[in-house]
Amino acid sequence: MLVSYNWLKEFVDIDDLDVNDLAEKITRTGVEIADVAHPMAGLKKLVVGYVEECVAIEGTHLHKTLVDAGQDEKLQIVCGAPNVAAGEKVIVALHGARIAGGHKIKRGKIRGIESNGMICGLQEIGFNESVVPSEFVDGIYVFPADADVKPGEDVYEALGMDDYIFDFDITPNRADTLSMEGAAYEVGAIVDKPVKIEPVVLKEDGAAWTDSFSAEIDQKLAPKYYLRKFSGITVKPSPLWMQTRLWNAGIRPINNVVDITNYVMLLTGLPMHAYDARTFKDHQIGVRLAEKGEKFTLLSDKKIELDAQDIVITDGTKPVALAGVMGGLNSEIQPDTTDVYLEVGVFDPTLIRKAALRHANRTEASSRFEKGVNWDNLEKAENMAALLLRNEAGATVAQGILKAADQQKEPTVIKTTVSYINKVLGTEISADEMKRIFDRLNFESNFAGDELTVNVPARRWDLAIPADLVEEVGRLYGYDNIKSTQPLLAETHGGYSEAETKLRRVKSIVQGQGLMEAISYSLTSPEKAHAFVKEAKADAKIKMPLNSSRSVMRQNLLEGLLDAASYNFARKENELFLFEQGRTYDREGGEFHEHEHLAALYSGHVYADNWQHEDREVDFYFVKGQLEELFISLGIKGVSYRAEAISGMHLTRTAGIYLDGEYLGMIGMIAPSLTFLDKTLRGHEIYAYELDLDVLSKYQTQGTKAVPAPKFPAIERDLSILVSDNLTNEDVEKVIRENAGKYLTKLQVIDVYQGEHIESGKKSLAYNLTFRNDHDTLTDSVVSKAMETISEALIAKLGANIR
Amino acid sequence: MDLFDKLVELRKDGLAKIKEATDEKKLNEVRVELVGKKGELTKILHSMKEVAPDKRREVGQRVNELRDLFNEQLDGTKEEILKALAQKKLEEERIDVTLPGKRGHVGSKHPIYLILDDLEALFIGMGYQVVQGPEIETDHYVFEMMNLPKDHPARDMQETFYIDSENLLRSQTSGDQARVLEKHDFAKGPLKMVGPGKVYRRDDDDATHSHQFMQMEGLVVDKHVTMGDLKGTLEMIAKHVFGADRATRLRPSYFPFTEPSVEMDVSCFNCDGKGCPICKYTGWIEVLGAGMVHPNVLENAGVDSSVYGGFAFGVGLDRFAILKYGVDDIRDFYTNDVRFLGQFRKEDK
Ligand SMILES: [Zn+2]
Repeated sequence: MLVSYNWLKEFVDIDDLDVNDLAEKITRTGVEIADVAHPMAGLKKLVVGYVEECVAIEGTHLHKTLVDAGQDEKLQIVCGAPNVAAGEKVIVALHGARIAGGHKIKRGKIRGIESNGMICGLQEIGFNESVVPSEFVDGIYVFPADADVKPGEDVYEALGMDDYIFDFDITPNRADTLSMEGAAYEVGAIVDKPVKIEPVVLKEDGAAWTDSFSAEIDQKLAPKYYLRKFSGITVKPSPLWMQTRLWNAGIRPINNVVDITNYVMLLTGLPMHAYDARTFKDHQIGVRLAEKGEKFTLLSDKKIELDAQDIVITDGTKPVALAGVMGGLNSEIQPDTTDVYLEVGVFDPTLIRKAALRHANRTEASSRFEKGVNWDNLEKAENMAALLLRNEAGATVAQGILKAADQQKEPTVIKTTVSYINKVLGTEISADEMKRIFDRLNFESNFAGDELTVNVPARRWDLAIPADLVEEVGRLYGYDNIKSTQPLLAETHGGYSEAETKLRRVKSIVQGQGLMEAISYSLTSPEKAHAFVKEAKADAKIKMPLNSSRSVMRQNLLEGLLDAASYNFARKENELFLFEQGRTYDREGGEFHEHEHLAALYSGHVYADNWQHEDREVDFYFVKGQLEELFISLGIKGVSYRAEAISGMHLTRTAGIYLDGEYLGMIGMIAPSLTFLDKTLRGHEIYAYELDLDVLSKYQTQGTKAVPAPKFPAIERDLSILVSDNLTNEDVEKVIRENAGKYLTKLQVIDVYQGEHIESGKKSLAYNLTFRNDHDTLTDSVVSKAMETISEALIAKLGANIR
Repeated sequence: MDLFDKLVELRKDGLAKIKEATDEKKLNEVRVELVGKKGELTKILHSMKEVAPDKRREVGQRVNELRDLFNEQLDGTKEEILKALAQKKLEEERIDVTLPGKRGHVGSKHPIYLILDDLEALFIGMGYQVVQGPEIETDHYVFEMMNLPKDHPARDMQETFYIDSENLLRSQTSGDQARVLEKHDFAKGPLKMVGPGKVYRRDDDDATHSHQFMQMEGLVVDKHVTMGDLKGTLEMIAKHVFGADRATRLRPSYFPFTEPSVEMDVSCFNCDGKGCPICKYTGWIEVLGAGMVHPNVLENAGVDSSVYGGFAFGVGLDRFAILKYGVDDIRDFYTNDVRFLGQFRKEDK
């Protein structure tokens, strides 16, 4: 809510306070003041002018005017606005003036004709177009004929631009400050000054009417619903003082009747609605739920289809307003309207909120109803509006208010103790001091020893429980005055969970390997969600996704890293060592599962470009080496790799990774079919692995029992063999290990060759074997014996040639 | 010439020859010639019979003195020759140390995890447990337990990705609060936890919005936890992350799960409170929301709110990273541009 400082001054004596200090105080104590605007700030030499003569300049849309702007001489000004005319009081920017946007106005010539200034529209002096009366949107502003302004006077005061506008950026619980009265109570409490809010004294001057009008109100939808009737109204613009208050509050002036309803809403916080009396020919009104599919046109001309959860006001049969949101075009105040019914009510907050959302039509009214309104203020609103309609529209006020629904709320009484409030705040505020705080809030409070009872007025419907009073006392005592302390509690042991500790270890190792940490989106497309996994599981799928590329939860992390690769390749960043540690998600078996994963993506070179020309490209074995280093660092042994087809991965360059027969993840090259399809990925060899850390963590153990370093020397032997090329290294190693005896401590492939020097269908493999006896010096004969056994086994089992 | 004269001469010649030897081979020849088994000194000893018996002792002494001198000189010269040789080899091995090294890849932490790790370390040091909960949460834990019944207007403030009527992607980490509160045994001591993690909201991605971001929740509950404790804790977070010279202020705010609720601002680090575009000319930047745990939240989790109370706070980690590192587009955290990610390598918090 935009709160006018000048208007606020009518309720609270704040003259002695600096405007910015006041705003800061309100922010720290009550409601955040997001901004303090001073509309005349930066403007200069804008005065009232009287257009004495106005002649069209032939062949142009321009007019040559002679304006009395209070100067020694009349000013000749060329004006392009369509609505300029002799006899108008207008805004004149004199030579040397500064208008909105810091633009300077100078005398000069337009089409060769001298122009000594500029006649301005409201937007040109800083008004937001949304508040400019519609007749002036496309032209200059013209003061009302009866406006009390004289040529040469500054325009600021007359237009309300000397005001300071406080932007009350309220939280939903403080809707009580969405009115001048509410704001005044709040500011009065904050600055500790009395608040002058007076009752309305109204003498009705028309005939009684309520007996001849029937109302059928669903009180669940509208627990309170009041109507007043007026006749003899003349619809015309509202007086300038009211218009300035409206536009300073961000509301466009329309006509006196509509403006008065808005003005009273600003004053009391209660949205009102005026109906042309011709709407209710049958002298009946209703409040009910709409029928689904009912067509309806709002007074903004917007056509909507009503929902069965919309509340509508009816003329007994058809809807005439979308209750609490906006009136209907069919009941709108017309230029020739003379008789009016004026509604003020309380509508179900949830239904109003949903209706405004459903029809994308949030209004000043709906935003108040959805947060609640003051149930005690309906009669005052009706009477205030009646007074204004009589004064400003010549209305006759019919006798009586039709209170078609008038439920009462139980008054809120909160009981608590002084010690409870102090205990929560960590303060030692005395009962007397607390009483003073409740007095400032205009709450009736009673103290009996430690016991405390507070009667909360209906205007503060946000307060219900003792904790709410803690907040009232705390904020008015001042959060600045609460001492900063640290909790004095029994000692606790801080730390990570065991699972988290293991994840952090994995992350730190791969960071140390030179991988950069990425974070990708968890939501992705179904296709991407299912890539790079051994078996896709049932999806965790969003009901209303923002778009189809973010509609299900990922089942792998690699797809995100591949997006990152694409993004980087497109920017010529081709050296990628990326990892992500995060979760994958599925809904297998109807239950939701989240798994911690690790994925790494490699593309480019092992080393940066260097003058030694070591430009080795990343390949499968480099990445596998990195993975093996990770396993070594984690103390994980017995990992096996099986050539395996995995979606999205290269058919013959991919392995499933297994630990104790359990699938741990996969490693390999991204499928060329996939990189070829994406323009930015095309031509890049990308290698990657992804591990399920939930599986891995089962094998991550802590605690080492130290073994002394070996005391006896080792013996090394090389073994070179020729085998059929469909045998794998693993096949060979298995035979070697099974036949090497108990002293083999290390087995390493040192050469693999396949090519022209070897018969086709064969490959040559060379191994280095290390033997050691931890308890004695090993003899050559023992080792030679072992080597013989190995050779025999290789020949017998694999048909190997020993070379 | 008697033996004594010979010795004088040999001394003079020998020293000169040693001096002249410039490599190891020549030096060895000189050594053989002078002190070898058939060398000059040996020859002199062999001709001892020519010396009068009473002088023999003296000759023997002189020969030994000369042998020691020669050996000393030979060893010294050998050392010099070797030294020179080594020096020559080193010269040959000279490289240009100003040529660049051969670089592999340098890893880095994501900036959001830099912030998170630093905060976790801070809180662990103060006895907080780090707790992580599920991201696919239930309406029950994220909303109902947190005092946000269905149709609560505050649910609009954070539009949620629903999977079905009960399951959703959590829009706040506060569900972890409820889970921990339910389980905690207060007989074993106070509850102090922080709960970091990913959260999701139905926002279109732009410079200031992301449908996915990270939060950290904090919760302390015991018999005597005050708003003063909350204030002290929040000030510590702000000063730890944004610098000890930052001013802070608490403002009343509203969250359904705390009462009273506050937000904390820190003085703008760009303009030091004078007002600039970053702080929207207010001099203050909002950094977090907090409050005293709402009695309904405690009761919903089966904790007696007449005995126990505490505070909770929520930190937007993306927001912290944006403010601390001066990032101007939240999407930069999720596009994983290596030029962006690489610049945080030097940070350790
Ligand atoms: Zn600033």
